[in-house]
Amino acid sequence: MAAQGKLPGRQPPDRLRKRVSDHFDPLPFYTAPLEHKLIDSQKYQISALTQRPMAMYHSWDSQNAWLRQIHTHNYLFVNPKLAESIGFGDGDWIWVESPTNKVRCMARFSEAVEPGTVWTWNAIGKAAGAWGLDPKANESQKGFLINHLITEELPPCEAGEHMSNSDPVTGQAAWFDVRVRIYPAEAHEPKVTSPQFKLQKRVPGQDAKRGKWQGFFAGKFRRKHNID
Amino acid sequence: MTQLALVIDLNVCVGCHACVTSCKEWNTSGWAGPMTDHRPYDEDPTGTFFNRVQTYEAGVFPHTETYHFPKSCLHCEDPPCVPVCPTGASYKRKDNGVVLVDYDKCIGCKYCSWACPYGAREIDEKQRVMKKCTLCIDRITDMSLPESERKPACVLACPTSARLFGDVHEPDSEVSVAIRERGGYALQSEWGTKPANHYLPRRKTRIQIHEDELVRADNPLKKEDLPSLPEGGETLDDVSW
Repeated sequence: MAAQGKLPGRQPPDRLRKRVSDHFDPLPFYTAPLEHKLIDSQKYQISALTQRPMAMYHSWDSQNAWLRQIHTHNYLFVNPKLAESIGFGDGDWIWVESPTNKVRCMARFSEAVEPGTVWTWNAIGKAAGAWGLDPKANESQKGFLINHLITEELPPCEAGEHMSNSDPVTGQAAWFDVRVRIYPAEAHEPKVTSPQFKLQKRVPGQDAKRGKWQGFFAGKFRRKHNID
Repeated sequence: MTQLALVIDLNVCVGCHACVTSCKEWNTSGWAGPMTDHRPYDEDPTGTFFNRVQTYEAGVFPHTETYHFPKSCLHCEDPPCVPVCPTGASYKRKDNGVVLVDYDKCIGCKYCSWACPYGAREIDEKQRVMKKCTLCIDRITDMSLPESERKPACVLACPTSARLFGDVHEPDSEVSVAIRERGGYALQSEWGTKPANHYLPRRKTRIQIHEDELVRADNPLKKEDLPSLPEGGETLDDVSW
């Protein structure tokens, strides 16, 4: 009401007035995602989504020795029709590019994804050396995150610069609003996911790296390491 | 004779792997443990699991179905892994039909894994013995546990109750009824192994809507002397008088 000029007292700044009056409509309405209205929607036509692997729900440490055998790296799931139209095959290395960044990963054909959408398991990709994993662990060499593609701030718009890329009412981050284009990686490019980061060093107090074999038996580890 | 087995409902399995991890959690520290992992925190980790879930897609978009298929030892009534064992380590329990491996006798020759048409057996590369699903034998026969807990860990963990456990030779058991009434089938029955475990197939789920249920019989508006609702117009909830 204040944004509509119908109430006296505190008023939103003029640059935000339209945003507040539009989005605080008491009735439900549809609007295209904010980001879509501000990017080159011809160049970036494909929606990119993520889903948490069920095996790792409620057990966020996916570097767990057992869970990482279930999902040790991820692929970008692409409908074969979309891949055919762009010109790459199942298992090929591809680039996924949003208006702000790009990620190199492997594609996996799936008939269970809509052709204008791509998706992947989230939270599997890790930086090399992170989470106590070996620098060559699949999570860092073949796993990837699409977080790199998602911008925290909207491009400059009528509401100003540095506007949060989130729902104006709830503040929910607009993860699923990201639009991308995908294209095959060059043959000479390294067969690892990109971006790669400087190897993380072990931090003081971190457990020594475990051995090549692990036969977990409840209680034995505690006795071996004199833990009461 | 009792034949304990699992019956797995593919119609409700969502592929969450809770059975996989709960199996490993129980069995690695129990009678059949440890379930060794190789390169646990390195490149290409691998390890022993008694139960794995494989996922398949069928059909072409938009008519696609995703199938999650939990796979473990089927505890065959005529298990091909038992007669091929040169040391007698592989055996089928007479009292409940569970197929087990005696690690003290196993020499890790892998004959049984070649004989098994289902790929259910996994060699422990560290201990050099063959390991497989025991139906949580140390749980289901532990009389100190309350009866409700005398079930395999995977059955207790399944959030959608896709896994049933019981005696498939007892005609009125939950598993026998499920096999009989919901089209339960055994895997590759042409091998003659008579797997005790069965799977319940995917079913088309349809909503049944009865016309008379769409109208509230006790609609208070009808009890008052009000003009009738417009034909085919607004629904009950839209009308404001």
